[in-house]
Amino acid sequence: MIIRVRFHGRGGQGAKTASRILGTSCFIEGLNVQDSPVYGAERRGAPVTAFTRISDEQILERGYVFDPDLIVVMDPTLLDSPAARVTDGIRKKGVIFLNSPSVTHITKQNIASDFRLVNFDLTNAAMEMLGKPIISSASAAAAARLIGMVKESSLEQAIETELEEIGLSEETIEKNVLLGRKVFSSLEPVELMTEESSRELKIAPLELILEGNGLEDITAAGNSSVSRTGSWRIFKPVVDYEKCTACTVCYAYCPESALTLRQDGKPVIDYDNCKGCLICYRECPPKAITLEREVVAF
Amino acid sequence: MELQSKYRTLRDVPQLDYLSPGGSLCAGCGGLLAVRLFHKVLGKNVVWVNAAGCMTIMVNYPLVPLKSNWLYTAFASAPAGAQGIRDALDILIKKGKIPESEDLKVVVVTGDGAAYDIGLQSTSGAIYRNLDFYYLCYDNQAYGNTGFQVSSATPVGSSTATTPATPSQPAGNIQKRKDLFEIWRAHNPPYIATLSSSYAVDFLKKVEKGSGFRGPKLYISLAGCPTGWGYDPRETIREEKLAVDTGIWPLKEAVEGKVRHTVVPRALRPVEEYLATQARYQHLFTPTKRIDVIRQIQNDVNSYWEGVADREGFDIKLVET
Ligand code: SF4
Ligand code: SF4
Ligand code: SF4
Repeated sequence: MIIRVRFHGRGGQGAKTASRILGTSCFIEGLNVQDSPVYGAERRGAPVTAFTRISDEQILERGYVFDPDLIVVMDPTLLDSPAARVTDGIRKKGVIFLNSPSVTHITKQNIASDFRLVNFDLTNAAMEMLGKPIISSASAAAAARLIGMVKESSLEQAIETELEEIGLSEETIEKNVLLGRKVFSSLEPVELMTEESSRELKIAPLELILEGNGLEDITAAGNSSVSRTGSWRIFKPVVDYEKCTACTVCYAYCPESALTLRQDGKPVIDYDNCKGCLICYRECPPKAITLEREVVAF
Repeated sequence: MELQSKYRTLRDVPQLDYLSPGGSLCAGCGGLLAVRLFHKVLGKNVVWVNAAGCMTIMVNYPLVPLKSNWLYTAFASAPAGAQGIRDALDILIKKGKIPESEDLKVVVVTGDGAAYDIGLQSTSGAIYRNLDFYYLCYDNQAYGNTGFQVSSATPVGSSTATTPATPSQPAGNIQKRKDLFEIWRAHNPPYIATLSSSYAVDFLKKVEKGSGFRGPKLYISLAGCPTGWGYDPRETIREEKLAVDTGIWPLKEAVEGKVRHTVVPRALRPVEEYLATQARYQHLFTPTKRIDVIRQIQNDVNSYWEGVADREGFDIKLVET
């Protein structure tokens, strides 16, 4: 019996580390495990995928996990990212775990009907515990709890081992352990109805990946705006036009050219492509920009 | 007399963008911001010659943010590519095949890996041949594109993927940065400057000023790198500004070889304030504070500014160590 888990996160959120912590915690339980990440050419904020295979027998399978029993969605906005292909290959009665305060928006997605959905607001828990939206331990804890094969003590040990290896301070590791514990105790195992691989390799047609829009003409200058990097955001900057003094500081410092100025000098944010770096928020002198948690896929 | 600049306040940042959003670089990338500001001053008629590095992934085939032109070269050869383009343009114009109004500014853009290490030889050659071009190095002080390995721009004390802090090497990187500004200056180009987007007006003025010269115009721009330096992406401007205000990143120019500092902090802030905010220096603070390394960094900064203050005749309050 193999359990296949696929993590979908963003560069910087900790998807790779999550898959390692999950792997190590199962290893401590005496199981065979495998974990590996894939990155694209893109950077912090871009979709990242990581895989963990867990089995009581030798694992002979290699490569991507195409048909996961459990999908951990570390950022709900990824659901609508054509590049991330989050729900691909979910098994019948497979489980999708969603890092989100609510599950309402997933029902809008047109995916296979009989998956099961579990949600928990990992980002909120991480903000409370670590002060940062880094959810490697939290995601690993959620997965470890859901598959029901890991004791809390093994999870803790795995968090310590893996975070030590990447050189985090003792204090940070301790906070991560607490975070892991909190998530672990907030969830219940789900029964995974794992069956042997029934993999059918499909090559997705290009128009599917790009939602039928097709590609921009390659010779079109500045065509990158169709890539909608706005889905990279975790927090969304929102301008309060009453408070804005049209000082243009945010405009000068936005690395993405995602801000344009209106006639009156006040900024308009292009949410399709604002990556949510929050430089504008940090630099705005009268604090006219506020933040909203990005939870609804657009 | 100094020529009047078009750029006096942040409101003068030109409102045309020659980059579309949607590129593949990290959120909050200081290198991208430098490219964006640079481009604003030069205008639309530009051809970027890009050595391998982070800016390579600005373009994610077939999607490209640039509204101008782009040639991608191997790590070592961007200045050679620039020479080819410059020559071709000159010949086409001379033969009347394209009107002069369609001439392009040739701009090399590289990270510090190419500028300080792999491409130094071809850069030296281009300056030597007095190539009429701009060279913009976004200096994030390591090989950012491949996972933050040490480069010869990496400062003392920084941990990188290849110089982590270890029990036998607790400081991380122990080599001093090459002084690329002085290496370039020894070649006698007409204009060289250092930049930081956090001092955007100084930045714009220098690009504008350099445009007044024929020949090599060289720029080294500090590039805050949230991923490699280890800070929240929103802090990019703050980090770059702290680098200037602590004296770690001097803003200066050399016109026909004569050096002048353009932003002089009246009182330096302690380097510690800068180092403490970045993960790449955390080993200098925990588990034990490496006062020796921090002091060495501070002393280097102090002696740099002492020398400058003497030569350029100003007062500066140094940090006691
Ligand atoms: S958060 Fe602000 S500065 Fe960052 S990309 Fe979005 S609009 Fe630009
Ligand atoms: S920085 Fe703030 S006040 Fe200034 S233009 Fe932007 S939103 Fe308005
Ligand atoms: S690694 Fe650093 S320099 Fe490279 S794209 Fe990311 S932030 Fe920019």
